[in-house]
Amino acid sequence: MKIRPVVNGRLRELEVEAHALLLDVLRDGLDLKGAKRSCDTQVCGACTVLVDGLAVSACTYLAVETDGRAVLTVEGLADGETLHPLQRAFVEAGAVQCGFCTSGMLLTARAMLAENARPSRGEVLHYLRGSLCRCTGYRKIVDAVLAAAENGPAAGNGQ
Amino acid sequence: MLRPFTLHRPTSADEACALLAGLGDDAAVYAGGTELLLLMKLGLLRPRHLVDVKRIPGFGDIVDGPRLAIGAAVTHRTVEQSPLVRARCALVGAVARHVANVRVRNVGTVGGNLAFADPHSDLATLFLTLDATLELVSPRGRREMPLDEFVRGPWETARAADELLASVRLAPWPSRSYAAYVKFGVHERPTLAVAVVLALDGTAATGGDRIRDARIAVGCVGPRPVRMAAAEAALTGASIGDVEAAARAAGDAAAERVDPADDLYGSADYKRDMVAVFVRRALRIAAARARGVEPAERFPHAVVA
Amino acid sequence: MSARPLRVVGRPVPRVDALEKVTGRARYVTDLTMPGMVHAKVLRSPYAHARVTRVDVTRARAVPGVVAALAGADVTWCDPYYGPAYRDRPVLALDVARYEGEPVAAVAAVDEATAEAALELIDVDYEPLTAVMTLDEALAPGAPLVHAGQPPAGHFADLSTLRPKPGTNVCHQFHFARGNTANALAGADVVVEDAYRFPPVQHVALEAHAVLAAWDESGALTLWASTQNPYSVRVELAKMFDVPLARIRVVVPHLGGGFGSKTYAKLEPLAAILARTAGRPVRLAASIPEAFQTVRRCASRVAVRVGFRRDGSLVAVECDASYDVGAYADIGPRVVQKGTYTATGPYRVPHVTLDSRAVYTNTTPGGAFRGFGVPQLAWALESLFDVAAARLDRDPVDLRRQNFLAHGEEFAPGDTPIDGKLEESLGRAAEAIGWTQARAADRGRGVAAMLKASVAPSVSEAIVRLHADGSVTVLASAVEMGQGTRTVLAQIAAEVLCVPLDHVTVVQPDTAVTPYDQTTSSSRSTAMTGRAVQVAAEDVREQLLAAAAQSLGLAVRELELADGAVVAPSRRLTYAATLALKFGMSGGELIGRGVIVPGRTAAPLGGSTPFWEMAVGAAEVSIDDETGAVRVERYVSVADVGRAINPLTLEGQDEGGVVQGLGHTLLEEMLYADGHLLNGTLLVYRVPRADDTPAELECRFVENADGSGPFGSKGAGEGSLIPVSPAVANALARLTGVRLLELPLTPERVWRALRSRSPQGPDAR
Repeated sequence: MKIRPVVNGRLRELEVEAHALLLDVLRDGLDLKGAKRSCDTQVCGACTVLVDGLAVSACTYLAVETDGRAVLTVEGLADGETLHPLQRAFVEAGAVQCGFCTSGMLLTARAMLAENARPSRGEVLHYLRGSLCRCTGYRKIVDAVLAAAENGPAAGNGQ
Repeated sequence: MLRPFTLHRPTSADEACALLAGLGDDAAVYAGGTELLLLMKLGLLRPRHLVDVKRIPGFGDIVDGPRLAIGAAVTHRTVEQSPLVRARCALVGAVARHVANVRVRNVGTVGGNLAFADPHSDLATLFLTLDATLELVSPRGRREMPLDEFVRGPWETARAADELLASVRLAPWPSRSYAAYVKFGVHERPTLAVAVVLALDGTAATGGDRIRDARIAVGCVGPRPVRMAAAEAALTGASIGDVEAAARAAGDAAAERVDPADDLYGSADYKRDMVAVFVRRALRIAAARARGVEPAERFPHAVVA
Repeated sequence: MSARPLRVVGRPVPRVDALEKVTGRARYVTDLTMPGMVHAKVLRSPYAHARVTRVDVTRARAVPGVVAALAGADVTWCDPYYGPAYRDRPVLALDVARYEGEPVAAVAAVDEATAEAALELIDVDYEPLTAVMTLDEALAPGAPLVHAGQPPAGHFADLSTLRPKPGTNVCHQFHFARGNTANALAGADVVVEDAYRFPPVQHVALEAHAVLAAWDESGALTLWASTQNPYSVRVELAKMFDVPLARIRVVVPHLGGGFGSKTYAKLEPLAAILARTAGRPVRLAASIPEAFQTVRRCASRVAVRVGFRRDGSLVAVECDASYDVGAYADIGPRVVQKGTYTATGPYRVPHVTLDSRAVYTNTTPGGAFRGFGVPQLAWALESLFDVAAARLDRDPVDLRRQNFLAHGEEFAPGDTPIDGKLEESLGRAAEAIGWTQARAADRGRGVAAMLKASVAPSVSEAIVRLHADGSVTVLASAVEMGQGTRTVLAQIAAEVLCVPLDHVTVVQPDTAVTPYDQTTSSSRSTAMTGRAVQVAAEDVREQLLAAAAQSLGLAVRELELADGAVVAPSRRLTYAATLALKFGMSGGELIGRGVIVPGRTAAPLGGSTPFWEMAVGAAEVSIDDETGAVRVERYVSVADVGRAINPLTLEGQDEGGVVQGLGHTLLEEMLYADGHLLNGTLLVYRVPRADDTPAELECRFVENADGSGPFGSKGAGEGSLIPVSPAVANALARLTGVRLLELPLTPERVWRALRSRSPQGPDAR
């Protein structure tokens, strides 16, 4: 099936099988390895990407559903060499350890800030409840998201 | 990964039903896929045809009326954010906000949730208090069925193989109704869910602080969600200002009524006791709301809507 | 060493690999591809214990796109057994499957879907056998044996003598004693005892095990593996394939978490064998459920008896510990002996009798997991300590302080003396939790302390290269798995050589390039690998000074390093200039070497620990009485680390350790029934989520520069996890009067205990 998603701002024309999962098309078809396969059951969030701004589990999402829609992966967060405020906040807060959950956390936070630019800690926890991390204990991740919200009016705006 | 299948995208309910009738067991209905694709990945379901219902007119709509109709392909997120739902039955949106996680809410649908009859479904529990009926369409025409009849048991519904769930209709509660929903559990899926609605007597003008009518549904803890008639009766006539004794009686009645099993979500005796606890708690919250107070208390491993 | 203030060490600098991780550019094994690469899938036993009478891969082999299909019987050209303590684990089951999930056959194919489909065409005949699923079953007289008797690996000095109990499921025993425990207990004023159970739990690293294996035309093997010790994997494969060490190369890209699950060979042997058979590179990646079938923590039953004098001094500890190491020993024997070695915790106690054993069961093999046998013991001893405190009518903080080992005191003859101030950690933790302050009526507070040895003897080597432009490369085989070791090593080199941090590159571990490091585990990388890097950098410094002295016509003692240059009053020679003068051109480099080999000693385990890891945890909890749900409202961890090379990454590690500890304390447990694991998926195995983190969580550090590591550092990362369960249980006991002996403290368990609590309170006997 032919699909034409806009991936990280760029129109792509892809030929995919109906049963192809978005995660595999991104990682193997487009060489965008940032989204990871972990639990493979929509629980952990390591495979999170945004489709039209909404966080989805790419491991359980058909690639064909992205036809004509915008897909954002972690590779599309930065503006060239300029990090997105969330990425910068994660680096500065020490919110990254092994890094396997990081792209999912960043994109989930990005989606949240687009909806709610000044979330409370409780709202951040509500959003991140479905994103697992085994290394950090979450403290610095939540701090980083709040810092990014605090510092950047453009934190979620439009990008 | 998934085994290969053909994806059909009918643009009418007739077309979809014809496909289901023709393909039989080889086909599965597909909307968000959050349940279906997971079961396919685990190899528990192996359909060679998926019938996508997202392009069928009306399936993605929420329509107002004497009853609120939520199309089968409406996502949990859409329900959460819908001004219409907020106006007609705010608790439905509040509960939708807590289904699974944000990614499942963005993609998963109300219809998919109900049609799979996962015994741990939040929505089915709540919808029992809203006189929910399901609209089913097939080559034989259209029929409407109460939710209670539709959900037969775990993963089992009354839907025929060539039948499509088109929408769920909810009867919003009368004015002067106050509700609460609480779910409790440690795992991804809740151990139990309780929905309570208290309708007070009198009118907005004449007031009245007695409970005219109570609805209590308990789900996730048994093979299917159930209304608790004896528990509801314990509330009738109680004063909203002093609901504690009635809440206790209701909780105990509900605990007696449920029939939980020992499993990973808890032992039967624990679940039974927790049903009593959370029916009581949900009733206290609803009663407080009736008195104009929003209780702040929250419980570990519990979500309050 | 100059006494100048530190520039880089001790600073909370952002980690050196942060950029690649936040941009998605970091590469993990499953991100790697090679031309011709094929994908492997594994067929696993559905039985906990069964004879495997027939494995027929013929139909699988015939599937178009399948390049290899193997059963155990097909592995004839190499030794199919591996294991770091016993070589008891075959790559594919031979004649018998010993646990549910054991690999029985494997397929390599052009894509995962083909491999998966081919697995379904493999025919296996099983004859189920009686399985022993628990310690009690495995230790019962006449219990079926998981193994008949296995050859020791002979690889590690501390495991050179294994002591199985023939005819039983006990594969290793440890015994340690001093004084006369029986007499001391008989004469003690207060004796308390109980038996505590610790559940099997899984590491749940978000990246499950993965390996990419490729043989070249000369018969040399290269693997990219998610492993914490590439050198262990290398020696294992060299033995199996009878290939020289130099012909096997193990490369480690980023690891998506380890926590001990990726120590010692796991899937690497199978991947290598498939690659050889297929004649193509093979990538073998486990799923999370398969990780549950690969390795877990050793569950335990620990019985402890402690005796005190009326004045509160601890006189005797008697401990009997059984550890469930699953169907294959993995590193279980070391977990048992090393863990039990510190069963007495951070206390002075004259009379000790310790007996422990590693027990085979027909379950997922138990191996290393953060804490390495000590969480299981601390759960018992630190809980019992509070029971004793109640009997003695003493404050638990005070009782611990009274009995702590002092700085410089001997732990055991021949071993390193205690190199930290336990009372300082305890004091700071108690103060931070507000121990002596009034608490709300609905809150309870508890503390726990821990002491752990690092693996000894062990070896770490490093190379530091100073290039012609003054930039630096560090070659060391400590694996970056999120703990920040790559950053710490860079900081150490930058500090010694007085260059900016971004002038230092730490390359990924690669046995062809980075020299020997025994393991990334045991909290040892800063103290041991870091020390090797420090020594190597100092070697480079000496060479720099000598070269500059020669060029400048000065004595070495008149020179020092500063800001990338060799300086004397009124003279300055950049490193680039120094090298250019030395080599007579703009090329060449200085190479420094650091080799840390403490060697065998007379210490009971064969080597003296390079440092003692010590920490204290304090918890404040609330409880929902009606449901039994415990919430940790506040938690304080204080770790005595000597020197925090990077306080930011260290704090992050310890926050993670606390929350991971809350996992086994409140939520996690692998549950079996009828020989099957019921909850090997994240849908029903509950790891902590973002809203489980205590609202107030503080991780603090005692830094007295009293360690043997670089700049006075010691080790860290396990001390934050170990005290969590007893601290929480002690807080719960003080709040509710309920004392639980089994983890996790799930709502239902606590609820049940609350309902059967005795009116006198928990710890009254």
